Amino acid sequence: MSEGLIEVRVASVADVAPKIREFRFTPVAEALPPFSPGAHVVVEMPGAGKTYRNAYSLMSDPFNPENYGIAVRLQDESRGGSVFMHTQVKEGDVLRITPPANLFAPHWAAKKHILLAGGVGITPFMSYLPEMQRRGADYELHYLFRSEQTGAYRDELKKALGERFFSYDSDAGEKCDVRALLAQGAPGTHIYICGPESLIHAVKAEAEAMGVPAGFIHYEEFAAPKPGKPFTVKVASSGQEVAVSADDSMLEALEAAGVEVTNMCRGGVCGQCVTRVLEGTPEHRDDFLSAAEKSRNDCVMPCVSRAVTDSLTLDL
Amino acid sequence: MQVEMIPGVKSRPVYTPVTVNPRSQRQIFIAQDQIPAALQSLYDGCEQGEKSLLTVVTTGAAAAGGALSIDDLAQRVASLPQSSSFYLAGSEAFMWDIAKLLTDAGFISDQIAMLAPLSKERRLFCTHCYTLMDHVTHSPHVCSGCGRALLVRDHFSKIHRAYVGVQINAEDPADLPAAAEELS
Repeated sequence: MSEGLIEVRVASVADVAPKIREFRFTPVAEALPPFSPGAHVVVEMPGAGKTYRNAYSLMSDPFNPENYGIAVRLQDESRGGSVFMHTQVKEGDVLRITPPANLFAPHWAAKKHILLAGGVGITPFMSYLPEMQRRGADYELHYLFRSEQTGAYRDELKKALGERFFSYDSDAGEKCDVRALLAQGAPGTHIYICGPESLIHAVKAEAEAMGVPAGFIHYEEFAAPKPGKPFTVKVASSGQEVAVSADDSMLEALEAAGVEVTNMCRGGVCGQCVTRVLEGTPEHRDDFLSAAEKSRNDCVMPCVSRAVTDSLTLDL
Repeated sequence: MQVEMIPGVKSRPVYTPVTVNPRSQRQIFIAQDQIPAALQSLYDGCEQGEKSLLTVVTTGAAAAGGALSIDDLAQRVASLPQSSSFYLAGSEAFMWDIAKLLTDAGFISDQIAMLAPLSKERRLFCTHCYTLMDHVTHSPHVCSGCGRALLVRDHFSKIHRAYVGVQINAEDPADLPAAAEELS
């Protein structure tokens, strides 16, 4: 994971909502590579005793990235990453990030794009919007937030997008009628959702009930790995045994023990870290393996999944 | 789209049995020139959603008896809701042409089901002069554009809605196989 990382300097830190802090990164050496709308980077956070790695969407204009912007919501059940970003990272600090990768690119063949952001889920759309405007794309942004916690950039978005901007502040009792939103969809209207699992599920369920094919609904959720009961991972090649504590993910525990596992999104989406299981039963928590693959229990995504059994032997 | 790819020749479509999507608000059945029994029975058995059975004329004969031209069909689909499903029957080239018309209108491949093609005829794309040829049944096939003898590959191009043809035995184009092989 350490190869190919980019060193960046924290050029600015700003609070953009009660629980959201924005960081702007500038390059230490070479210019930052351009990226595509919807791309993210993984930020390495050297905490005391533990290195956190979280994926954050890039908010800059993708084709003119003088700096990379990310926004971090202080999570109520933080595993340490968002607390580290909020309390430890200061202007002038140097951090390491992965090059940009994209699992949430716009479907440019669409005739209309409906962007649905929940809270800090506004971030990937911040890189969509400049490109949508450049291409003259037909789009709407529907922004759901709680003004007591989130809702970053809403004033500037309202000003920049005008009639294409719709906001719903649930702390002010404003609700988004997902059904009505889907019902207006003519063929070629694609929906993009970034936000909490509950929002994604609500839209998917509504679409299914209305007979709107799943291929029109695109979503991204960087769910942090949730805690679970501790277990042991056995590395087949070396016989090494690695303890996975309740709060660590299997991937983090392996990395801390010096075992390299190819990975990218660290959120159970991209499929890069898929690893063969030789013994034991995994507890699948990812969004990548199909139901059939999960039921075979012969592979696992160490970034988010855990073990049902006390130990899991991996083909590493 | 209920089309899978064969292992080995990944790009060759495989046509699996078609079932009706019960959640669709509109069910559109589209046949080339005549309605084959398989499409008729799928239509007859469809009980969910508002259904239509359409015939599209491709033979050059005048559209008769409610049959549509390709342009008529394009107009017709423009007013359909997002919750529509399409069931296509006819030659392979016809079905992919209709699929292109539908995706241009904003529908996605998940909504388009193709029945097994009614013949083994292929549409061929010459990679040398870009000519498209319909009704190809044997390989090699002499290109109607550049005259090269083309090996008809199993590689299907979704962009061209055609199989790819490349000059056979390019090192020595005069060295042709003794007999043309019938395509499967």
